[in-house]
Amino acid sequence: MDVVDAFGRPRVVITGLGAVTPHGVGVEAAWAGVCDGRSAIAPITRFDPTSFPVRFGAQVPDLPEVEDVPEAVAHLATDLKGRLSVLALREALEMSGLPALGDRAGVCIGSEAARPSLEDVAQRLNSNEPPGAHALARMRPDAPTRLMAAVAGATGPRSTVSTACTSSSQAVGEGVLRLRRGEVDAMIVGGVDVLVDPIMVTGFSLLGALSTRNDEPAAASRPFDAGRDGFVLGEGAGVLILETLSAAQARGAEVLGEVLGYGCSCNAYRITDSPPDGRGAAQSMSAALADAGLEPTDIDYINAHGTSTSMNDASETRGIHRAFGEHGAVVRVSSTKSMTGHLVAACGAVEAIFCVLACRDGVVPPTANLTSPDPECDLHHVPIKAARIPCRQAMTNAFGFGGSNGTLVVAGRP
Amino acid sequence: MTAATVVVTGLGVISPIGHSPDAVAAAVAAGTTGLMPSTELAHLPDDRAGGAGKIPVRAWLKRRKDRKLMARASELALAAAGPALGDFSGDRVELGLFLGVGREPPDDGECEGALAAAAHEGRLDPIRLAGRGRDLYPPLLPLKTLPNMALAHISINLGVMGENGAWAGECGAGQRAVLAGIQAIAEGRCEAALVGGADSLVDLGSARDRLRLGHNGPPGEAAAVLLLESLDAATARGASVLAVLSAGADGEALAVPEHLTGDVGAAAVPLALVAAVAAGVEAPCHVHRPEPGDVSAAISVSPPHAC
Repeated sequence: MDVVDAFGRPRVVITGLGAVTPHGVGVEAAWAGVCDGRSAIAPITRFDPTSFPVRFGAQVPDLPEVEDVPEAVAHLATDLKGRLSVLALREALEMSGLPALGDRAGVCIGSEAARPSLEDVAQRLNSNEPPGAHALARMRPDAPTRLMAAVAGATGPRSTVSTACTSSSQAVGEGVLRLRRGEVDAMIVGGVDVLVDPIMVTGFSLLGALSTRNDEPAAASRPFDAGRDGFVLGEGAGVLILETLSAAQARGAEVLGEVLGYGCSCNAYRITDSPPDGRGAAQSMSAALADAGLEPTDIDYINAHGTSTSMNDASETRGIHRAFGEHGAVVRVSSTKSMTGHLVAACGAVEAIFCVLACRDGVVPPTANLTSPDPECDLHHVPIKAARIPCRQAMTNAFGFGGSNGTLVVAGRP
Repeated sequence: MTAATVVVTGLGVISPIGHSPDAVAAAVAAGTTGLMPSTELAHLPDDRAGGAGKIPVRAWLKRRKDRKLMARASELALAAAGPALGDFSGDRVELGLFLGVGREPPDDGECEGALAAAAHEGRLDPIRLAGRGRDLYPPLLPLKTLPNMALAHISINLGVMGENGAWAGECGAGQRAVLAGIQAIAEGRCEAALVGGADSLVDLGSARDRLRLGHNGPPGEAAAVLLLESLDAATARGASVLAVLSAGADGEALAVPEHLTGDVGAAAVPLALVAAVAAGVEAPCHVHRPEPGDVSAAISVSPPHAC
């Protein structure tokens, strides 16, 4: 097996996957959930949402405290974001069998700054005292990166990408570039986010970006459907262990898949709106195909960004047609956000994992609730039920507030 | 494939010691400080801050009303990126954009009114937040405080559409962004890119939080942006080459001392690069903000004749 690709670059393979999603702890729980077409979106239970305009979300189940975290970073593992990070990382590490590689392993995580809890804000309002140093450290966008690096014993390059919904897609991309460059032998990449809290629900509600289908939460996220009315806030984490093929072979690791290409672009349009012609999205997809050395017809499945907002889904559709030409009407497209909600900084990584598993199993997950496809979204959808198809290569899109776009192309086991 | 030579062809900066590269270079040479007492920080042990003053951002806005979407770091970033891009005649669809950014305001200062309205018997009541607090909550707040908004405003207002990234959270974020741009050009993924960093730490919440985290020096704010191009692309369009950048640690180490600007966070490394290039690079030198795990992340600056 060639250890370099057609461009002479080291091939980048995936040896470990880890996820915590609204479907539960573990990659297989998430995969079973989306392949079953099962929505994990439900009424909010973490706080009393009675008076909120949106009273549902995609929460992760209650998680146990994580143990055996190095003392120096133990304070970063005490909140939900920290627990999500450690649980997803440990699953990926265990699957990979990656030994502690010291400075030959790096970490790049997509993450946003955490919000202070209402309790922390109340304390400050009452006493004019800011949160303590540990609480401040947990709120930093790089907190998950520091935590995962310490837990994994990875002392190589470490960075945190913060491009909203595109964050973890770009984090995976950065890992690929570092491996191709030979900076490291392994990269821990992924993303984590927590959005189901009162402040975020209030803020995004006021922006008018959220679905308000309070009476039927499981039907609220309906990407590409004529009845869609906004996205659903979610939370979760996804982690991938990337290695050069030669490093993975040298240690006898099982290879689960391969990252073939990465592309990104900016829309240069508006902060919240996507360009109707999908040009930025198309540019990102075309860049990823070119980086992979593939033609549009080589892609069998696209896990769309598909947020269930009126504007994103129509714009993404135009982008797919623009980038794929005639194959845009042939390639299967679905959005797993119809079941997981929008995991924002974690969505790129989690949806890349779904693409790897689609290639592994020859099954593409459906878009739940897609009962009346919007004519503006004229794609080859996978509505309601998963489809069994040979899936050689899959693509996943992530498009962020502010107009950052990221696209990954993956394949199954080489 | 042979790596392309990466050159600097444009500079822009907004900082406590000047709003132009020449002013910053002169202030660094003269040791002129931009630290001033800040009334907002009056009750802190050290009331000095490196504020950048009024930010000249209007000239770069496509739509003036977008300014209400901009946090201060975004204004700094756009006001530095505009002059750096200048009259760039290359392809903006493929132009890269790599930025190091600071953290979001952690205490959501702008929604204090909403939070205060939600307070009840010493606790914050979510029901009150959604009720009487909702009318006081700034609806655009989530968009203002996302870390990638500085990148977004540059992209939108200057028409930049190429490969991009926003790195956050560590002081080396600006360094990572500059390196990412150098690598993207050297590896042929784009021919030109805006690279730099923007951060604003001078508000009371940020200054107070820095103290809590053990950072005792005065806070600052700045944005510094460089236009990088491959030597071939710069030569083809007849651009003046100001310096050559590469990964590495050649020659003397450079930095803009914090006693001149305060802590400018993610803008520190780009600011040092802009100051060095504006002063005229006569011999190889380098900037390096050591971060754990980033042992090879230094950036070397060489004179134009080195290419």
